[in-house]
Amino acid sequence: MTWIWIVVAIVVVLLLVGIYLFNRIVRLRNEVNTGWSNIDVQLKRRNDLIPNLVEAVKGYAAHERGVFEEVTNARAAMANASSPAAAGAADSLLGQALGRLFAVAEAYPDLKASTNFLQLQSDLTDTEDKISAARRYYNATVLAYNNAIQTFPSLLFAGVFGFHPREFFAADQDDRAPVAVSFQS
Amino acid sequence: MTLQQQIRANRLRTVYVVLGFAALVAVFAAASAVFVGRSGAIGLLAFGLAYGIFAWWNAGRLIGSLTHASPLQKSDDPELYRLIENVSIAAGLPATPPIYLVDDPAPNAFAAGSRPSSIYVGVTSGLRKLMPTRELEAVLAHEISHIRNKDVRLMTLAAVLVGLIAMISDFAFRMAFFGGRGSRDRNPVQLIAAIVALVLAPIAAVMLQMALSRRREFLADASAAAILNDPEAMALALRRLQLDTSEVAYADRATAHLFIESPTRAVKGPGAFLSGLFQTHPPLEERIKALEEAGGFRLDALPATS
Repeated sequence: MTWIWIVVAIVVVLLLVGIYLFNRIVRLRNEVNTGWSNIDVQLKRRNDLIPNLVEAVKGYAAHERGVFEEVTNARAAMANASSPAAAGAADSLLGQALGRLFAVAEAYPDLKASTNFLQLQSDLTDTEDKISAARRYYNATVLAYNNAIQTFPSLLFAGVFGFHPREFFAADQDDRAPVAVSFQS
Repeated sequence: MTLQQQIRANRLRTVYVVLGFAALVAVFAAASAVFVGRSGAIGLLAFGLAYGIFAWWNAGRLIGSLTHASPLQKSDDPELYRLIENVSIAAGLPATPPIYLVDDPAPNAFAAGSRPSSIYVGVTSGLRKLMPTRELEAVLAHEISHIRNKDVRLMTLAAVLVGLIAMISDFAFRMAFFGGRGSRDRNPVQLIAAIVALVLAPIAAVMLQMALSRRREFLADASAAAILNDPEAMALALRRLQLDTSEVAYADRATAHLFIESPTRAVKGPGAFLSGLFQTHPPLEERIKALEEAGGFRLDALPATS
């Protein structure tokens, strides 16, 4: 009779451990989702700024059509990006296009002096900073989640319950490399 | 010690501090029943509980007025607000806490507030002036980490509740030893005051000690470095605080542990005689060293002083 109780005890313990691990993974996944929606908010904000910026530059340099088209296309690609990796690729293209737009603006002193343009420029810088802040958080949550589902023993059942690894939002070239910081004592 | 463990430990300690305070009030009321009668004791109990609830609800504002901090609008300093918004996003906080400005030339910062909606970050005007952007961001990240790690709730509560206990015991202590004219003929009131002081002081000390784990500062430094991906910025900011020796005018025993570095060299005001019992902050040198080890860099050695 005793071996039945031993088996029951083992099953119960395994079940409790399983529930704990499952809940932990769900919590980590929710954090990843929150992290992504934080990025999404900032990406949308930037996408809303860009048409105004293009209009402002157009007012002074209407003939620079190539640049406007490039920015508009990159913006559309960004809006249509369906995955973090695709969004990361579209993001770096958009960054290059915006760089060219500002290079064009350099040649027009009146434009550079206009308060509207300066305001848009500073809003855009602010949004870029926030995107990179949100990216740091998101990538950290993805790392924690992926580690959780790809390590033993969670990896035994993670796939069965539909937990799949998530993509990082690619960092720009100029971004600081992640550093490992451990807690002392 | 991971972040999750720290957050859980903070929740537990918060409960301890609240229960400890409630128990203390009850014991105090029961003991005083001998002198003020039953209705007086009930009155004391009611007052203690009312004070506790009031303190919990208004802790942020109370500390704001203790430290002479006033709210700063975003339009007053958009650059500072942008920094704290970025840091909050990078830390994954659901909302950006408002900034309060303390008009004081000594560079320092703190975070206070008991409820999520009442939490704010206090910054002295000296810090704003002295710190370059990179280091200012690191200081803000340190405070935001305290908020995210749920340190702030516990530290605020400790400041308000333990502050009251320390005040009473300090008052009793003075009454006991400096109250009478002649030191020989102590009257019963002085004797009771001495007992109250002797009983309350260690309890207050233990409660504060719980709130003042030195680990918390190391953890907030490490979190700030991780949030910004830049341990050097945090270390540089601490070094700059180390080089500055001015003191914050409106900081005392009750609020000292809230600040990023100890705001006063010698603690004055209520609870002064307790100050030798514990240190609110680990030495800056140790904190810088921990960051140097984690980030694999070395700051320039301190210029020789004296």
